[in-house]
Amino acid sequence: MVQKQCVAMILAGGQGSRLGALTKSVAKPAVPFGGKYRIIDFPLSNCAHSGIDTVGVLTQYQPLELNTYIGNGSPWDLDRNHGGAYVLPPYQKAESGEWYKGTANAIYQNLGFLEKFHPEHVLILSGDHIYKMHYGEMLDKHIKSDAAVTIAVMPVPWDEASRFGIMNVNENGEIVEFEEKPQNPKSNLASMGIYIFKYEALKKYLTEDENDASSANDFGKNIIPKMLENKEIMQSFSFEGYWKDVGTVHSLWEANMDLLDESQPFDLSDRRWIIYSRNPAHAPHFTGKGAVIHNSTITEGCSIYGTVEHSVVFGGVTVGKGSVIKDSVILPGTYIGENVVIEKAVIGSDAIISDGAKIGVEAAGENPYESPMCTNDLVLIGNEVTVSMNREIARNSMIVQNI
Amino acid sequence: MRDTMGLILCGDEAIPPITDIRAISALPIAGRYRIIDFILSCMANAGMINVGVATQSNYSSLMDHIKSGNPWDLDRKNQGLTLLPPNMSRVSYGTIKGNIDMMASISDYLHRSQQTYVILSLGNAILNVDFKKVIKQHIETGADMTVIYKDLKGVEDSELSRFTLFEFDEDKQVVDVEVQPYYPKVTTAGLGIYIMEKALLESIIDECSARGDHDFVKDAVAKKIGKMHIYGYEFDGYADRIDSLKSYYRNNMIFLNDEVRRELFNPHRPIYTKVKDQSPTQYGANATVENCFISDGCLIEGTVENCILSRGVKIAKGAVVRNSIIMQDSVIDCDVTLDHVVFDKEVYVTRGRKLIGQESYPLAISKGTKI
Repeated sequence: MVQKQCVAMILAGGQGSRLGALTKSVAKPAVPFGGKYRIIDFPLSNCAHSGIDTVGVLTQYQPLELNTYIGNGSPWDLDRNHGGAYVLPPYQKAESGEWYKGTANAIYQNLGFLEKFHPEHVLILSGDHIYKMHYGEMLDKHIKSDAAVTIAVMPVPWDEASRFGIMNVNENGEIVEFEEKPQNPKSNLASMGIYIFKYEALKKYLTEDENDASSANDFGKNIIPKMLENKEIMQSFSFEGYWKDVGTVHSLWEANMDLLDESQPFDLSDRRWIIYSRNPAHAPHFTGKGAVIHNSTITEGCSIYGTVEHSVVFGGVTVGKGSVIKDSVILPGTYIGENVVIEKAVIGSDAIISDGAKIGVEAAGENPYESPMCTNDLVLIGNEVTVSMNREIARNSMIVQNI
Repeated sequence: MRDTMGLILCGDEAIPPITDIRAISALPIAGRYRIIDFILSCMANAGMINVGVATQSNYSSLMDHIKSGNPWDLDRKNQGLTLLPPNMSRVSYGTIKGNIDMMASISDYLHRSQQTYVILSLGNAILNVDFKKVIKQHIETGADMTVIYKDLKGVEDSELSRFTLFEFDEDKQVVDVEVQPYYPKVTTAGLGIYIMEKALLESIIDECSARGDHDFVKDAVAKKIGKMHIYGYEFDGYADRIDSLKSYYRNNMIFLNDEVRRELFNPHRPIYTKVKDQSPTQYGANATVENCFISDGCLIEGTVENCILSRGVKIAKGAVVRNSIIMQDSVIDCDVTLDHVVFDKEVYVTRGRKLIGQESYPLAISKGTKI
């Protein structure tokens, strides 16, 4: 068997319940992002550009859509004779079978998969971050420093540091201390949840952790502290550039809006680092007479007859005459009728917004649809929801059923 | 449809300057497509699993576009898509003078194919036809050959003269054929698509080659009328073929028509093409767009009206582009004015320039030109 230098494992994890109605029937990594992508396109494309050709995607929530999407991995050049893309759900074993208990347990349960390729190193990624990163550079540093594990870190604003897992490093970049959400952070270097382990070290710590009944089987909470305790060589790899966790409705909306902001250093049109995705067979988009489009991105399969301002419109969306879309994200296949007004909303896939509906209006009295998922005046309309004619929906609402 | 194979003939007709670097079938059209995508997708959508694309000389761009046939799901272990450059040793006198010679040059492939029926088509047709229905009629009528035609009632004679016109009796059997007549007698125009048993096609090629004949219609079909059952299949959707700059221009602009666009991009029979993974098109704060068909990867900061834009086109602030076809990665700088132009790929127009063509005579600029 040809030995692989590095195999990637993407923790595509659980439901992502903070995305509300968007993850009702799809796993978080399959949630659309950036006009024509899905969240998982980012780590997968990064792998493709970093020369990593063997990727396991670990998932246990609503796998159908994610499975279909990844398929044989060909959109990311991951259709290989040896290696390629694998979706790895939990499975029944001879003695027992169980769900993934935590991030570390998910990898532990797939040691058999890793053994098949017998890599020298294993790259652990999460499936809910938007960024472009050359994992090859991180791997080089990891190999050069002979570390048991290398963790990618990035500086965050000091006042936000207490929301992250903070790494304290010495002058050689070695990690000397790890604090999960510290009240008084000593550094502002946050862990990005990207690890490269020596395979042998990973195997050893995962097996020990599995045998520890009190462990939460989590990389951040258990494995990393344990390795620090054992004085393993732990290196940091600092990343500078755009990185965003899109775990909540608001952060997903915000990350989409960042794409329209020229001052943000995140450019999807860079042909040197293409983000690959599975392309539906859509025709170019059509802009009708009377269409007005400003500060927005529109993609193939759309027909725009109305006004789109400062919004991200995904493939196959129709915006009817007289409608005005502002500061919003419209997911694929959605139909927006005529004279609709949408302000600051995320509209799910294949939704229907009927003529004259108004979304994002000021609440007149008590709003029964108000949801803690929808903060800062944001409205979320779920996938495949129909909003009836002339219906008004107040700010901060989440709509999960036809209304 | 596994028992029907496809054979697409990509000729070397010239539309200078845009065919200087590619075969006509490889011309970009409707923004993100190539002309051949239409007929190829029709065949793939009908479930055909063996399609040959015969080429003449200028085929590198076609080869690059089609590659393994993956976008059409024709990358198969067994059969699938085959690109067929000519084997000149099979052609009498060693020169290709007509489509019979083209087919003779690839007769080994035809011979090897196992299907009973063959759909023969030119590679420059623009239409979305359901071949399943055509084959069904072909078998039901017991025809030896079926020609797909469209009634171009109301179309000017000069336009009709571009086509091969078929005259039918009341049973839709062909009684006469005229290739590009100056004075058309009928309005029923062949679309360059013929269905027959593969064995018949092989015998026609053999017979014509042996006699030194070159043209499938003039030398074979015309002479077989009355001796064989040649039926017509009436197609009533949008159909045209691209054979001049004028028809190229018109067949791009037709995608601005809601009805035609929806018909050609029927979601039940999608048109596939090579994927380029371009990011979504970005619109600037001062962009104005009206009645346009725009591919991904563009950056639009100026004014665009009645245009077809391929992938990766950049239109800077203050530029005004009207009634034009702009191919991939062309850059229109600030304050440029364009009207009725056809830009090949990677044309760069510097600040403030003005280029005006006419509808009857669009201004075509070759690939990579800097103005």
